Amino acid sequence: MTGPTDDSPRPAPEPGRGLGIFDKRQLDRCISCGFCLPACPTYALTGEETSSPRGRITLMRALETGELPEDDPTLAEESSYCLGCRACETVCPAGVEYGSLLEQWRDHQWQGRDRPWIARILMALVSRPALLWLQGLVRRHARGGGSGGSGGSGADPDTASLMLGCVERGLYPKVSRAAAALRPELGVPARQGCCGALHAHNGDSTTGGEMAHALGERLPGTIVTTAGGCAAHLAHHLGRDRVRELSQYLEETGHRPTGQVTVDGRRARAALQDSCHLRNGLGVTRQPRDLIAAVADYVELPGAGECCGAAGTYAMLRPADSRAVLDPKLEALARLDVDFVVTVNPGCQRQLQQNLRRHRSPVRAVHLAEFLAMAGP
Amino acid sequence: MAAATELARDLAALVGDAHVRVDEGALTAYARDATPLFHARPQAVVLPGSTEEVAAVLRYATDRGVPVVPRGAGSNLCAGTVPLHGGIVLVLTRLDRVLEVSAGELLARVQTGVTTQKLADAAAREGLLYAPDPGSRTVSTIGGNVATCAGGLRGLKYGVTRNYVLGLEAVLPTGEIIRTGGRLWKDVAGYDLTRLLTGSEGTLAVITEATVALLPAPEDSGTGVAYFDSLADASRAVAAVIAAGIVPATLEFLDHKCIAAVEEFAGLGLRTDAGALLMFGDDGAPRTVAGTLARIAEVCTGAGALEVTLAEDVTRAEALLAARRCALPALSRLGSLTILEDATVPRHRLAEMVDRIDAIAARYDLRIATFGHAGDGNLHPTCVLDPDDGAAVDRAHRAFGEIFAAAIALDGTITGEHGVGAAKLPYLADRIGADQIALARRLKLAFDPAGILNPGKLGS
Repeated sequence: MTGPTDDSPRPAPEPGRGLGIFDKRQLDRCISCGFCLPACPTYALTGEETSSPRGRITLMRALETGELPEDDPTLAEESSYCLGCRACETVCPAGVEYGSLLEQWRDHQWQGRDRPWIARILMALVSRPALLWLQGLVRRHARGGGSGGSGGSGADPDTASLMLGCVERGLYPKVSRAAAALRPELGVPARQGCCGALHAHNGDSTTGGEMAHALGERLPGTIVTTAGGCAAHLAHHLGRDRVRELSQYLEETGHRPTGQVTVDGRRARAALQDSCHLRNGLGVTRQPRDLIAAVADYVELPGAGECCGAAGTYAMLRPADSRAVLDPKLEALARLDVDFVVTVNPGCQRQLQQNLRRHRSPVRAVHLAEFLAMAGP
Repeated sequence: MAAATELARDLAALVGDAHVRVDEGALTAYARDATPLFHARPQAVVLPGSTEEVAAVLRYATDRGVPVVPRGAGSNLCAGTVPLHGGIVLVLTRLDRVLEVSAGELLARVQTGVTTQKLADAAAREGLLYAPDPGSRTVSTIGGNVATCAGGLRGLKYGVTRNYVLGLEAVLPTGEIIRTGGRLWKDVAGYDLTRLLTGSEGTLAVITEATVALLPAPEDSGTGVAYFDSLADASRAVAAVIAAGIVPATLEFLDHKCIAAVEEFAGLGLRTDAGALLMFGDDGAPRTVAGTLARIAEVCTGAGALEVTLAEDVTRAEALLAARRCALPALSRLGSLTILEDATVPRHRLAEMVDRIDAIAARYDLRIATFGHAGDGNLHPTCVLDPDDGAAVDRAHRAFGEIFAAAIALDGTITGEHGVGAAKLPYLADRIGADQIALARRLKLAFDPAGILNPGKLGS
């Protein structure tokens, strides 16, 4: 028995044939076991199959086979309601590449005018390096005093470039300055542009990939980024060897933080909020914790690995849902008695900073680079 | 369309607008559980927030003759929660509170939508153990566990869900709320409806709350791994372990295809060149555990094990067990259609059954990987296929028919722990006979005169 609204016969694709929206191999991977359910933040909020990774894959399949029409409202809602945190990937024994499937889904779902206008504005902004350069005039980021990299392309293990990041250089210019100060050998080339993660997560993965490759050409050697989200996106397109998130880079280059962060004369207590894509996409969890523990008393935040609700543009596109995801984390932070919550991604930084302020919390959100800089040389 | 709107409106009046879904997307998402090849859409999805709301929905459904399929996490593997006759999918995940954990009485009372893991964690916080340990415990709900009498990795020593259910609150299809059993270990007042509902697969009543027995958490536990040339060798080692008078908490095996798939996911350094792996574990006082593990290791070596290793710590042991629980989904790395069954035989016939499965797989030219709970004879032969190869899917169905027949011939059964659902209903009469099938129908009628509850499954 099927739903009652079928006026016209559905296109009945032959077995194995579909509309070509998704990579069939990736879509076939899911066997609907449901092991992903407990990992999903939106399923935790609703308890409904449609907002679980398994349910969303069922929806993707229905779109692919024509079982659901392309303008189905549940398809639109669920492709948008998903945070894209990829926590489901880490618990999936079948190895479903959910993040990639979501990109394909949004590529289809968010075409042209169906893309949220905030996302369109941001994407237009970050795809113009000149505008980013203007931002730089207003706020001094790391390029102010950094040593210039010498152009060129291809991976070069002996040189490493600091990626400035489009969101970060606008909102948190101090982060890249702190990173450059920690590691003076990092080149900071001009005219970097955006890595394309924003495009990839907002329905334009083709441009997102092109931008990653273009940035790879502009930045010589290993690309070091202070944004977990950018690291995962770049690594996906340029290969893991080319890209290091800051904490990875610091660890691999044997960086030993000295000094300590103090509050009122005592050693500070600090927790980490993981970056979803750094954790779930690249599996980096230990390095930032070790670095924090070197300069402060490290306290594990319960649910540190769960999304904070920033999720790229999500906090702007769906503020109420974003806060619903974040609220349990704020409560956990309040119970933790820490001075700082350290982030490794600018989106998380913004999300936590704004909302901790909103709750008049004494806890400060700081980026890892700034936190290490606070410990002194 | 009008009928659908009316249904939605009526249901919304019972449970609130926000808890009724009739959109095509939701109907599509709830058209399936974890069983491949069985999909059927409901007309509505309802998420009640209380036992009273469950009762209201069931009364309404009986009045109108609308089918109702109760559902927890939808991890069922025999299409037990697929709405084959349409109607309402009754999702019980909102009933997710642990009502009490009593260390004094060694019991817990939980709502039906609590996950097995959440109950186990709540018990562990009080130093107690909820023993049933189904592979999908991080996902599955207690309601689903009771409805299917879920088994798991600790079955040999600790038994299965039915051994731990003391009492139930359930709603009859006609809307009456009944409480069976209770907080007692001894209670013979009346038919044992608690046991009858346990394993009834959502066909007699909707379980809304369970009171379950807990045990003091064992002081220590340990796990080890033995490798063999073949699954048949591993099966003989299992027989030797039991014959030596050892009843370990866990005795699981994986064939070489499963080892490879699990290793690819979990990266534990398992030996992928071995033909089979036997994972054994025990719990109890530290010295007892160490002694049991050493004896099992000795027996395995004597039975021709290629290598035996003991997990050095709890973390490693947990990782091994977690990896074992992922065997089924990990197998989908070999092919995206995995048809899993759970034929079960008396454990002394395990090696014989393994041989028969191999022969059947060869005869039908199929790739069948086998893992399972060796200690209780519960096998999970899993056929890995290309979903687009219709001919192979047909062959797989015929092969499983033979596997079931082989299990019955060896005094076994068609399902050890996953249930009958829709997938194994055609084979049920072979196992229990016509008289019991007829009795099951009369029983079903007594509970569910309108035949609304999970039609097309047990008792239909």
